[in-house]
Amino acid sequence: MTAATETRVARVATRPSSATATRAGRERLVSWAFLAPFLVAFALFLVWPLVHGLYLSFTNQSLTGAGGSWVGLENYREALTDATMWRALRTTVWFTVVSTIPLVLIALVMALLVHRGLPGQWLWRLSFFMPFLLASTVISQIWVWIFNPDIGAANSVIGAFGIEPIAWLQDPDTNLYAIVIATVWWTVGFNFLLYLAALQNIPDQLYEAAALDGAGPWRRLTSITLPQLWPATILIVMLQILASLKLFDQAYQMLIGVSTDTTRPIVQYIYEAGFVGYRFGYSSAISYVFFALIIIVGVFQMTAMNRRRSLS
Amino acid sequence: MRSPQTRSPGEKRFGVGRVVAFAVLALMAAGWLMPFLWAVATAFKTEPDAATESGWVGDDGLTTEAFRAMLSNGNVWIWALNSLWTSLVITVLTVTISALAAYAFSRLRFPGRRWLFAVIVAAIIIPPQVLIIPLFYEMLTFNLIDTPWGLILPQIVAPAMVFILKQFFDGVPVELEEAARVDGANRLRVFWSIVLPLSRPIMAAVAIFVFINAWNNFLWPFLVINDTHLMTLPIGLETVIDAHGIQYAQTMAQAVLASLPLIVVFLFFQRQIIRGVATTGFGGR
Amino acid sequence: MARRSTMLSRRGLLTGAAAIGGTAALSGGLSACGAASATDPDQIQFWTLLSGGDGGTMADMIAKATGSGAAYDVKTTTLVWGEPYYTKLAMAATGGRPPELAIMHASRVPGYVPGGLLDSWDVSRLEELGVSQDDFPEDVWRKGMVGENVYAVALDAHPTVMMFNPEICDKAGVLDSDGKLRATESPEEFVDLVSQVGGVTKGSPPLSYGYLGDGSQMFRLFYTFYTQHGAAMTFPQGGRAEIDDDIAVASLQLMQRLLDGKLALQRNDYAAALAEFATGRSGMLFTGVWELRSVKEAGVPFDMTTIPTLFGTPATYADSHAFVLPHQSEVDEHRRDLTYQFVADLLKGSYDWATAGHIPAYLPVTESPDYAKLMPQSNYAQAVQQVNYDPAAWFTGSGSNFHAGFGNAVQPALMTGKDAAGAVDAFRTRINGLLKTQNPVDPDGTWTS
Repeated sequence: MTAATETRVARVATRPSSATATRAGRERLVSWAFLAPFLVAFALFLVWPLVHGLYLSFTNQSLTGAGGSWVGLENYREALTDATMWRALRTTVWFTVVSTIPLVLIALVMALLVHRGLPGQWLWRLSFFMPFLLASTVISQIWVWIFNPDIGAANSVIGAFGIEPIAWLQDPDTNLYAIVIATVWWTVGFNFLLYLAALQNIPDQLYEAAALDGAGPWRRLTSITLPQLWPATILIVMLQILASLKLFDQAYQMLIGVSTDTTRPIVQYIYEAGFVGYRFGYSSAISYVFFALIIIVGVFQMTAMNRRRSLS
Repeated sequence: MRSPQTRSPGEKRFGVGRVVAFAVLALMAAGWLMPFLWAVATAFKTEPDAATESGWVGDDGLTTEAFRAMLSNGNVWIWALNSLWTSLVITVLTVTISALAAYAFSRLRFPGRRWLFAVIVAAIIIPPQVLIIPLFYEMLTFNLIDTPWGLILPQIVAPAMVFILKQFFDGVPVELEEAARVDGANRLRVFWSIVLPLSRPIMAAVAIFVFINAWNNFLWPFLVINDTHLMTLPIGLETVIDAHGIQYAQTMAQAVLASLPLIVVFLFFQRQIIRGVATTGFGGR
Repeated sequence: MARRSTMLSRRGLLTGAAAIGGTAALSGGLSACGAASATDPDQIQFWTLLSGGDGGTMADMIAKATGSGAAYDVKTTTLVWGEPYYTKLAMAATGGRPPELAIMHASRVPGYVPGGLLDSWDVSRLEELGVSQDDFPEDVWRKGMVGENVYAVALDAHPTVMMFNPEICDKAGVLDSDGKLRATESPEEFVDLVSQVGGVTKGSPPLSYGYLGDGSQMFRLFYTFYTQHGAAMTFPQGGRAEIDDDIAVASLQLMQRLLDGKLALQRNDYAAALAEFATGRSGMLFTGVWELRSVKEAGVPFDMTTIPTLFGTPATYADSHAFVLPHQSEVDEHRRDLTYQFVADLLKGSYDWATAGHIPAYLPVTESPDYAKLMPQSNYAQAVQQVNYDPAAWFTGSGSNFHAGFGNAVQPALMTGKDAAGAVDAFRTRINGLLKTQNPVDPDGTWTS
């Protein structure tokens, strides 16, 4: 909005004299100079691949450089009738559901507790955020080790509660949830920090007023803190959904050598079709199916948010 | 960022609520630290201890055997060095080109400015995973597979960072710049000596965010690098294994070593990193 | 304020310059060092997927070969077995800067060659170094050929076998006077034998077989039983899979029968099954010859034999580790010469490879008196005469998606003991789908040998 007004002002200002006209011309040149490095990279490594990928999705291009003939909609027809692709989509969506809920709720609880200002602030922040700093490879190695069915710590822990050992990553009934556990541990710190920042932006006056009214801690939580956090929550949920839909690293790494259809996320199917199966054309088509999903989710989120904004 | 409030107003210093909250917090923190500490503990065991069910300290006691074995294998050093310098180059390039572009969008007037910015903002939603096939193909064409530039270049485009920096520049008052312009300074000079110094916190935030992502990036380096001399740490740890089989203590030693640099950086720059995530985090990851 | 910010900016400039300078220096230094190792004219880059006992043995063999004043030096890189390895190898060959030499499973070669991912071996050059077709079992040599050309030179054949614990089996009374396992010629006889062993192992099941999430492991045993019926399985490109349904169902049903929770655990993974046997909890184990070393090191008494012929025809699933030349966009003739020498040296020294359990492919080694004395290796050496590789098709082979797909189709049936016929149907559907597709390394079918 501000940008729009500024432009209008600028337009009015640059209309008449020839001196200002050359100045505008120079400014134009300077602008492109400032923009050029980014735009070149943007065009080369984002726009062009996006367009070329769309083209590839209509060909039978191979990883090896062979092929490349036009096949029309054949790749899309195959993708939409490919049970493996649908299952990968279902897995991805299910993972998104079961990971987003704890990733938001646990982050909220963490932030609320830390925000109370208990002693040991740096330790709390370090504990919750540190895993986010680790590479996916590292967290996969740690959790594969923890989930080891024979000597892993996970089975020792549940064993203490009298639960039978589980083949966490090998058993198709449990491995997706094992990935969820590792993912929550890994990335919850990110949402935790976002919540912490949002908490710090709630004006003190609200609490002071509530204290004067004699509101207890529970009242303050439910009638001030949580409502004030609502916009942040919406944003965090949105970001989390988009992040969870892109699941690949940890699922691929932790389940290497475990061949099962039940835990292959869609990004992994893109990778497998293209690089394991050498089918660049088909893989591009799946990429665009995935892209469509992301756009649908994104647009849905935008409209939901806009409607909320216009309602309030 | 304000420092966290010490107490909710009206709350007693040692109330039951505080004690309970502390206990819950301590429990959660322990839970969150445990997996990593367990990895550290394993890294300090002998291989036979690591491969059997044992407590925090193995029967053979503490040992740095695994670390020594890992470091005597030259690969880990090369990977760490590769990770460091490619992440630095990616960070410098990303921050530079994003800041220049963001400044142009914020301050300069040129035709097509609005729709161009709209296109870049819209591009934030494009998941990099969608581009792996055509990008790989492009790198093949440019003969950049198995080269550092093939690894670096596709990682320097960050539309979200342009957006964040532009928002920030919009909030910086223009008066200082105008004064300098009247004194005859050109745009680049104004940008360099006035805007950049004012933007240090946000630039640091963006740089930290970009660096963490580059250091940890898996998918693209995994695709573009096959040569073990050029691998980054995450790729090397994932693809290359010891010929003598999986050695748990050594694997955990590698994991610990690979995480150490960022943890140390975090301990030193905790405040900046937290602020960085809070300001750039909403731009997506 | 203004003054302070200029100072800051100057300092910022300096740090910035230092950072960029440092980075440039680092990168310069690094590429120089990378270049140095890459330009060592006598160094061969060698990729393998061998780890564990195999990897150790291979490292020893390489050290032996390079230690005796050889003209070459070898830098070995071990990548994660299976799909990650084959994906990386293909990508490296496509990128044009692959290693000089790599190990592949012979069963994967037909899928690779049409993409131009491999260079063929010059047979006359090999013969000059004392390696010719006559030195290999015929089936094993032919598996390395596509059309008229040789693309893979086999190092070994590594069949699926049965290990047994002689102490436990002796107590159960299933050994004959030579200490060999009593011969069994039908599923019934075999089930009887296993349950007899179960009388000794009591608490835990007598037979160990891990398969969860491991399609290769499922296919190895299935295909052994299937081919023991004397049946073939063919996958004609563009046609429909020729699978004998009744035989496939019978083979699966035998697996289900064994995985009843009493003879063998119904749900077990590879590592856990191996551990069961290696710690003496079970009396028998279905596994590959490559586990010989790890079981030996575990110190448990054991012997090995081919999987008994339960359906009439002696047959065993196997694959071969084979040497291949990944396609280079620019061949360095000197390095290639050294590569030929290195391979010849390894083949001649492959007696050591037998210590890792594999049956060397190079006949001068297996026909030597030394090898006949090698125990338990010579107890299953006859397996090399009855090997069955994966059905040839672009999508088959060790660590391929084909094995994964087989696993996905069959695992539910093994886990529940139900609907073997449904599993075979699901398998057939998958294969028919794949057969409709051209080999993706050559989608227009333009490649000719």
